[in-house]
Amino acid sequence: MSGRNRVDGAAAYVLHSHPYRETSLIVEAFSRDHGRVGLVARGARRPHSQLRGLLMAFAPLELSWFGGGEVRTLAKAEWQGGQPLLTGQALLVGYYLNELLLRLLPRDDAHPGLFQAYGEVVRQLALSPDSGGAASLRRFELTLLQELGYGVSLEHEAEGGEAVVAEGLYAYLPERGPVRVADAEAASPLFTGKALLAMARDDYADAETLHQAKTLMRHLLGHTLGGQALHTRRVFMEMQEL
Amino acid sequence: MLPSTLDELIDALRVLPGVGPKSAQRMAYHLLQRDQAGARRLSAALEQAVQRIRHCARCNTFTEDEVCSRCASGRRDASLLCVVEMPADLNRMEETHLYSGMYYVLMGRVSPLDGIGPRELKLDRLLARATDGLVQEVILATNFTNEGEATSHYIGEMLKSRGLKVSRIARGLPVGGELEHTDSGTIAQALVERRLL
Ligand SMILES: [Zn+2]
Repeated sequence: MSGRNRVDGAAAYVLHSHPYRETSLIVEAFSRDHGRVGLVARGARRPHSQLRGLLMAFAPLELSWFGGGEVRTLAKAEWQGGQPLLTGQALLVGYYLNELLLRLLPRDDAHPGLFQAYGEVVRQLALSPDSGGAASLRRFELTLLQELGYGVSLEHEAEGGEAVVAEGLYAYLPERGPVRVADAEAASPLFTGKALLAMARDDYADAETLHQAKTLMRHLLGHTLGGQALHTRRVFMEMQEL
Repeated sequence: MLPSTLDELIDALRVLPGVGPKSAQRMAYHLLQRDQAGARRLSAALEQAVQRIRHCARCNTFTEDEVCSRCASGRRDASLLCVVEMPADLNRMEETHLYSGMYYVLMGRVSPLDGIGPRELKLDRLLARATDGLVQEVILATNFTNEGEATSHYIGEMLKSRGLKVSRIARGLPVGGELEHTDSGTIAQALVERRLL
């Protein structure tokens, strides 16, 4: 093990943190070049700690740390700016992103493409909270599945690899791909070839594509999570109720 | 092998936040070896507190009575309700000597990633309190953390839909604060939330 491993100024976001011992925090961070890392922020819970206000989720940061093993020691955090904090509904969407990363992304695997997709959604959520950044959110979910190693086939059928056609109707088998069905009653959820091909082109201009992409991502992420419910989803549901 | 009562004590001490097996063992040895009188006092105080302390039926803070003395005083403005996360926050608000309304103490905050939502915070109790017919304005004084913001957003939506006036305490530079010595995050948010003169 490279015990004295030091990383300086890594582009990162805080995903979550929890109290550790009397005055410290354990921070789960997502960095561009080192993936998800666990960091101890010593003294971050002291009343006048400079770190306290810095280590907030959804703010672009540069983090420096040292040490080997499962959890490193945070040396420095620098605020990068350029976007306000998340508020309202956008903040709740942000929590959803972070829960997906905390649940599905193993520590210490770099995923620069996913980091970029994450940064893009958070930026959209911060700068235009009302539009909700729906397209960038779907792009992030798709990138997450792909980077985790689940090939998400959108242009070819699961069986035989036949090309998906715009006018076809498809069911979707997780980890395998679309399967053409004869009519709308044959499966649920159901996707149009047109929407699948639009997703493959990264074209979310059509509201119907966005809608079907949301359904497909929920279907596939639900499978990837192995039926475990997301905390964030349960909390949102309760919020709708009162 | 430790005697089982000692084991039980060490295990019990671990309910305290931030106390792991080692600190629990140190505390247990200290109490039994160096400070038996202190141990008896602690034990009695815990016993009493657990038996007598409960949540005020109106503001939810800790009290020994059905309704705490602040809520029962009758000298406070019943049209204002200030929502804070913890009893310590209520004390800070009182120290301003600028607020004479009522309070509601959440005893926590919404934290979706920890599975803490409206149900865990028993927000139906706050809803009942805020819609007593006397409250006109609810002032949200939760922390300016992501969790405090999520809490305030959610409570705000819940109460606005009931026709209540809802406000949020302001965020910006500290009193006497100079830009030169203020962190960038605070200045950025103060800029975003600037107000017209
Ligand atoms: Zn009270």
